[in-house]
Amino acid sequence: MAPGRPSPFRPALRAGQRFDASASNRPILVFDNVYKSYRADKPVLRGTCLTIERGEFVFITGPSGAGKSTMLRLLYRAETVDDGRILFLGRDIARLTADSVPMLRRNVGIVFQDFKLVPNWSVYDNVAVTLEVLGIQERIIHTRVGEALERVGLAGRGQDRACVLSGGEQQRVAIARAIVGEPALILADEPTGNLDPLLATDILGLFEDIHETGTTVIFATHDRTLLDVRPRRVVVLDEGKAVDVPNGLNVEQDYDQVETSDELPTGAHYEEALPTPTERLAVA
Amino acid sequence: MKAETMSTASRAWRGGRADWKLHLLSSFSSAVAFVCLASALLVVFNLDSVRERWARSGRATIFLREGTSEEAVTDLRRALEQTPGIQAVRYISQADARHEVIADKTESALAALPVEAFPASIEIEVASTTSDAEIASITEKIGKLAPVESIETYQRYTDKLKSLLHAGVAASLVLALVVLAAVVSVVASTVRLALQRRKIEIEVLHLVGATEQYVRRPFVVEGCVQGAAGAAAAVILLGVLYLVVREHVADVLRVLIGVPPTFLPWYAVGGLVALGAILGATASHFSLKRLVTV
Repeated sequence: MAPGRPSPFRPALRAGQRFDASASNRPILVFDNVYKSYRADKPVLRGTCLTIERGEFVFITGPSGAGKSTMLRLLYRAETVDDGRILFLGRDIARLTADSVPMLRRNVGIVFQDFKLVPNWSVYDNVAVTLEVLGIQERIIHTRVGEALERVGLAGRGQDRACVLSGGEQQRVAIARAIVGEPALILADEPTGNLDPLLATDILGLFEDIHETGTTVIFATHDRTLLDVRPRRVVVLDEGKAVDVPNGLNVEQDYDQVETSDELPTGAHYEEALPTPTERLAVA
Repeated sequence: MKAETMSTASRAWRGGRADWKLHLLSSFSSAVAFVCLASALLVVFNLDSVRERWARSGRATIFLREGTSEEAVTDLRRALEQTPGIQAVRYISQADARHEVIADKTESALAALPVEAFPASIEIEVASTTSDAEIASITEKIGKLAPVESIETYQRYTDKLKSLLHAGVAASLVLALVVLAAVVSVVASTVRLALQRRKIEIEVLHLVGATEQYVRRPFVVEGCVQGAAGAAAAVILLGVLYLVVREHVADVLRVLIGVPPTFLPWYAVGGLVALGAILGATASHFSLKRLVTV
């Protein structure tokens, strides 16, 4: 590797040759003064600062166009920041070379509003693709896909074509695809946007289950009713800045009273108010 | 390496199987374009063989001096018969020449000419394998012999015909090139449209962390197979049409242009299939670059 050139993305999380014990103490994700705009006169993110600890479940919310999807797209490097840093497992995503981006995405599971399934592939193929790109043996893929489908309640549906499934089922397949690689972080971009309220709660429950296993979940939604299901950390994007809402419950009230402040940009304030999921897991 | 190749092949097979109708349609579109190109090449090759046939007369007439003795003529004939490259030698006496010219007796002016007005000559037929340079060398040597007055090789006429046919070959080649450009466009558009339909697949692969090479390989293989299949189908279709038509026109053409029609040579067939494969693969490669949005 040429001197000075950023090295490929290697998370310092998993055991192995490059295992870094100190990585387990770092936040999983840090937005450090991030700026992003698609039009010069209308910036989407304006000095966004946010810290997310390992094992947290965070709702990102805000009105349409607030920058929720942009934040997530920056995370999996579909977009690049105009200024600032995004640290994922200690590595600056913005500085990753094009060759390293796939390595980043292998550590992130992504779920979309429109599911993004290949309609003429089978359910199995749609989930297995995550492991196939890793070059895992077919026998192991078979086992792990079976387990993932079981976790999302689609056991035995592997041979069905994705296009014949209902919206809720398709989203379950998308979730299975996101979790089958056991990523450190799950990004959900309005995953319930195309589903009815009952199914939406159902799908949220799936993400809760995934989170229970220790996976960090970032759930972007503009559906305020979902925020009240359980007390979770809620980050509101307003005027291009991320603001923590102190209590995950009764968000609607808090949300309406949010005033953008430079003094409340990180998760520190939230952590004072509520124990983080990491802490709760540690107690458990 | 072997595992990678197997993975690429199996993914390409899966892609082809999952959307076989689309692939069939793409191959058919390519085949239609390649039929046009192969037809243009068929014209080029056949016109070229006509040009080859008429590029040289294959004969020459040696006019003898007046008063050449029969002995000298016999010696000259013998010498010519033994010359390599000369297939046949025919002596035409003054009387024979007059007889040939005024055979129909319609031209009274010609018929009034005395036999001395017609020179004796020897007509030689040159083997088809003899090159132009060899013929020139033979005629130069013959021209130096004492009984020879002059030699007519009919080069002026063959040169005119040759340039005419050459222009025909060039024109058909230009046409073939235009068709080739159309084929490139059709194959590229077909492959791009097919890939557009599978955009979601490409997007998903990128989102789950597939490298550029991993994404590209099976699509390039599919494009390559599609292009080659289209070209091969075109050649087979044209071959069948050629066999059907040849039954009816081969004899007529042989009489009219002096050579029987021929199908594309093996190297042209191979070239067409290879071109299809290369075009398909290249179109896939570049189309994928444009399709990547994440």
